[in-house]
Amino acid sequence: MDKNKIKTLRDLYEEAAALYGDAPYVKEKAGKEIVEKSFSQFADDCHRVANYLLTEVGEKLHAAVIGPTSYAYLVSYFGSVSTANPVVPLDAQLPCPDLCELLQRADITVFFYDKRYAPMLDAIKAACPEVKHYICLQENDDVISTEKIVKEYAPAEKLPEITGDTLAAILYTSGTTGKSKGVMLTHGNFIDNAMCCDGESSLGESILTVLPIHHVYCFTCDILLGLRYGTTVCVNDSMMRIALNLKLFQPTFILLVPMIAETILKQIKAAAAAKPEIPPQMIAQAVFGGRLKGIYSGGAYLAPEITKAYRELGIPISQGYGMTECSPRISSSVFTDENYGDVGTVVRGCEIRIEDGEIVVKSPSVMQGYYKDPEATAEALTEDGWLHTGDLGYVRDNRVYITGRKKNLIILSNGENVSPEELENKFVGKDMVAEVLIYAEEGYITAEIVPNPEYFKDKEKTEIAAELTELIKEINKTVTSSKTIRRIRLRDKEFEKTTSKKIRRQQSEQGEII
Amino acid sequence: MFEQLKEIILNYVEVDADTITEDSRFIEDLGFNSYDFMSLLGELEQEFDITVDENQVADLHTVGEAVKYMESLKN
Repeated sequence: MDKNKIKTLRDLYEEAAALYGDAPYVKEKAGKEIVEKSFSQFADDCHRVANYLLTEVGEKLHAAVIGPTSYAYLVSYFGSVSTANPVVPLDAQLPCPDLCELLQRADITVFFYDKRYAPMLDAIKAACPEVKHYICLQENDDVISTEKIVKEYAPAEKLPEITGDTLAAILYTSGTTGKSKGVMLTHGNFIDNAMCCDGESSLGESILTVLPIHHVYCFTCDILLGLRYGTTVCVNDSMMRIALNLKLFQPTFILLVPMIAETILKQIKAAAAAKPEIPPQMIAQAVFGGRLKGIYSGGAYLAPEITKAYRELGIPISQGYGMTECSPRISSSVFTDENYGDVGTVVRGCEIRIEDGEIVVKSPSVMQGYYKDPEATAEALTEDGWLHTGDLGYVRDNRVYITGRKKNLIILSNGENVSPEELENKFVGKDMVAEVLIYAEEGYITAEIVPNPEYFKDKEKTEIAAELTELIKEINKTVTSSKTIRRIRLRDKEFEKTTSKKIRRQQSEQGEII
Repeated sequence: MFEQLKEIILNYVEVDADTITEDSRFIEDLGFNSYDFMSLLGELEQEFDITVDENQVADLHTVGEAVKYMESLKN
């Protein structure tokens, strides 16, 4: 695809239709069948949705879309942005009051919803009078739906002009602390990020999309790269069915967060231990459907041990670093890279500088600011367009290394700074620990630990405490004295998480001190 | 159904079969993480030819609750 020709998301899908035509872009399950939609059909259907919106809604078009990934979701999204208005993809796990609050805050007038939200509609209508148009994604007898629109409306013949500077989306970040903020990304931001690396995929490859579609990592790297390269996007219809769908679609690539990559690795190891006569590489391939060429990992820290273990199984992992505010990629590694604890090389067009240990970036992928939040925008963005990532780290030989989050820094009474993530990463790969959170408490660096019940089966609490104390002693030997962990709390239940499965730094309960 | 579920659980976590009771909690007692747990439900769908409603998943904490839920889908 000629990168110079593509300035907007509309250019991208129109060019994909021109280049890849009848090749399958989306495959999804419909009952027991698999339905395929081509690149040409996709472009046509986006133009049909745009036609509907321009004809029936007209002015004041701020659309929100909510639901798991589906073909109807994607044409609603791209059809909306093609009208030169922004779209707001919302977290499908939001409880109703939070959803209403965001619909109000984002000035939504058109609401595309998955049918599973139908029971909430009365409450939404009562709380959000500004939302005038409700469009179900799936066909449903008595209501207007995206599936009906693409059957009944012709593709728009003339669409409003869009440029790279046109606002394309407002993305509400979940965050592990504080209130969500609406990240404003333009068409140019998305296109820059979709074009900032090369060789991630190609025509004829397929990707199983398993991450939540409202996350920019999934949107850019599954959906937009699919359009760029002619890759088929296979829809995973539920987190419950990843194993089944891997076998069904046999993807060549998959984007994962580290937690899923680690869990699948654990399953492969268990299966390999149970069947020592079968080479573990064959077991790994079977688990991923049989055709997998590589895994892309992002969203959180991926330990080098995991990369190494997968490589030994014949499955390379590329990992990236980024944030919603940067559409999202800032750095990315390639499959042949060794993982020495870095998060890849800086992507094309992105400049990085380090200020007081914080990574600050400037690139055409950087957001325009936070929607209706000038204070937060001024905190994050400098006047000349540098974005404060809030991440601590450094760059060596163009490779990015992350050491922690600025706002999580523990500042000790002697003025020294300790990054909790740096200490938490020392627990990765320790079998006796299921989860850990590091924080300061009464001046002590504290490790709150959820022990691994499989490791400690049939063990008394005193034995668990003794073994964990030994582990902490070992870890303390690897850090400077100011960073030593001085208190351990034992927790008997999983930490509370954000909807993107990150541990919340503020927990409502604490484990007991041992 | 409890016995069948127990068998399947053993493919996910390393625990003694005898320690699994109806009161065992998937995450706290058996060591499931959220991804394992979702995968288990997917396998149960296939094994028992049922369709699990994702909105109900949050209410399933113990093995007994899962058995009861599956039986309700079967009937």
